[in-house]
Amino acid sequence: MNILKLLANLAETNPEQLEQSAPRRAALESLGRFSAKALAAALPFGLATLPAQARTTLTILDSLDLALQLERLQEALYSRALAVTGTFFPADPTFRASVVAMQRHQQQHIVLLTDAIVSSGSTASAPANYDFTGTKNGTQPALFADVFTDFDQFLRLAQLLEDAGVRAYKGQVEYLSTNDFILQTALQLHATEARHAARIRVMRKQRGATVKPWPSPTDTSITVAGKTDIAYAGEDALQQYLPDFRPVPFQLLPVGFPGSTVLTQGVPEAFDEPLTLVQATALLALFTY
Amino acid sequence: MHDNSFLARTLHRRSFFRVAGAGAAASALVLAGCAKEDTITPVPTNQQLVIGKADSVNFTVLNYAYLLEQLEAAFYDKVVTTPPADLLPGELAYLTDLRDHEFIHREYLKFALGSNAYDASFVTQFVFDFSSLTLTTRQGVWTAAQKLEDIGVAAYNGVAKHITTTGYLNMLAKLASVEARHAALAHEVLQAGSWAAPIGATGLDAAKTPIEVVALIQPFVPIEISTAYLPTT
Repeated sequence: MNILKLLANLAETNPEQLEQSAPRRAALESLGRFSAKALAAALPFGLATLPAQARTTLTILDSLDLALQLERLQEALYSRALAVTGTFFPADPTFRASVVAMQRHQQQHIVLLTDAIVSSGSTASAPANYDFTGTKNGTQPALFADVFTDFDQFLRLAQLLEDAGVRAYKGQVEYLSTNDFILQTALQLHATEARHAARIRVMRKQRGATVKPWPSPTDTSITVAGKTDIAYAGEDALQQYLPDFRPVPFQLLPVGFPGSTVLTQGVPEAFDEPLTLVQATALLALFTY
Repeated sequence: MHDNSFLARTLHRRSFFRVAGAGAAASALVLAGCAKEDTITPVPTNQQLVIGKADSVNFTVLNYAYLLEQLEAAFYDKVVTTPPADLLPGELAYLTDLRDHEFIHREYLKFALGSNAYDASFVTQFVFDFSSLTLTTRQGVWTAAQKLEDIGVAAYNGVAKHITTTGYLNMLAKLASVEARHAALAHEVLQAGSWAAPIGATGLDAAKTPIEVVALIQPFVPIEISTAYLPTT
């Protein structure tokens, strides 16, 4: 198949003709009704009128579903950790309290996202089965064999999933841009995830790990090549580009200080990078079966 | 008052900075080049800092983000240059990282804006005013950092929806979560477990409109910030 011919064919296709099944279309049309519920009270602004072009809006539902799956995964991780009896959590009571708060936030996010999906007339996907050791129910070697007995291992997985959650939301925002209400809500969820990630990282640092509150090239790696490393793929980018593809010449801009490592550490730290839906889904798959 | 300060200069140039939008300021600059500075008679007008442009919501939002990043950069620069004596071990390293990140954010947005930066034609940059903050103690410094970072997070959350191109939206999103990480850290260093302070009952971090944010940052900006072109929602 000639790729250029394929692209030409795609370019000639009217996006309206790419609409999918009738139930999906109906769901989209009613997505606009999703402000009357709980969210409206929390966020005092109205829904933007949905554009007629359905293709973009279908992606909104796909984005919401990805977010829901990630939030459920995180909620289950915290829920199981909090259910562990004995001395799993350290003596510092703020550690457990922080995980309690994070679990509560994830529950709230699940309610919010499910409401958004259901209010639109669509159906939330079924919850998956989770295996946080990463063995996929005993069918492959473990990634986090002692996740609920070794608190540091639990924190490493929590960091991985929170950082990836931030990146996954970031990867979806551009597909939400046709709906101001959903876009803003997603960014607020995104910021909450970033606070979670920073707190988890600070907890790890307090327990002796080499890690900063933001992903840094100086962090000790917590990933397995070919598996969990997808969570940080591209995160340490040394280069940023403008929308017109011009690189930002940080080496020529007044960002540096004598003797500092601003170009090799500061720049990658200063930007959180997006994950695509495919990358985020691959990460989810490591802990679901 | 220092001779280089914006206000000192503008006593002479006041009439040229009534509108600081790039186009207007650029033409003012041409005029300034033609006239002898000393002969300019100060005009008692209400001088304003005009952020953005009437004809481009994207450049308006980017300028708004740029002003916020300038503010944070100036804050950490001042703190790192003259740190409080009672910082705990590791805190100066954190503050230095924060300074570096904010300098990078500032220059990133400034480069993206180019001649559309609200201050692209300023002869002298104004100096932020941190006199309302206590920067001689770690408590004061981190309390101020919490405030500025929480404002930054809420500002990005509230304004990004006005961006009309996905390229610029993605640019801001890359910065927004780093600000949230900064905010969480600034809370944690003073009180363990306080990272979630601005998160509301539905699990959402805060969002503020540009008008709300301008009111919060005005004390640090020595010129009245005009909200004329900023989105109202």
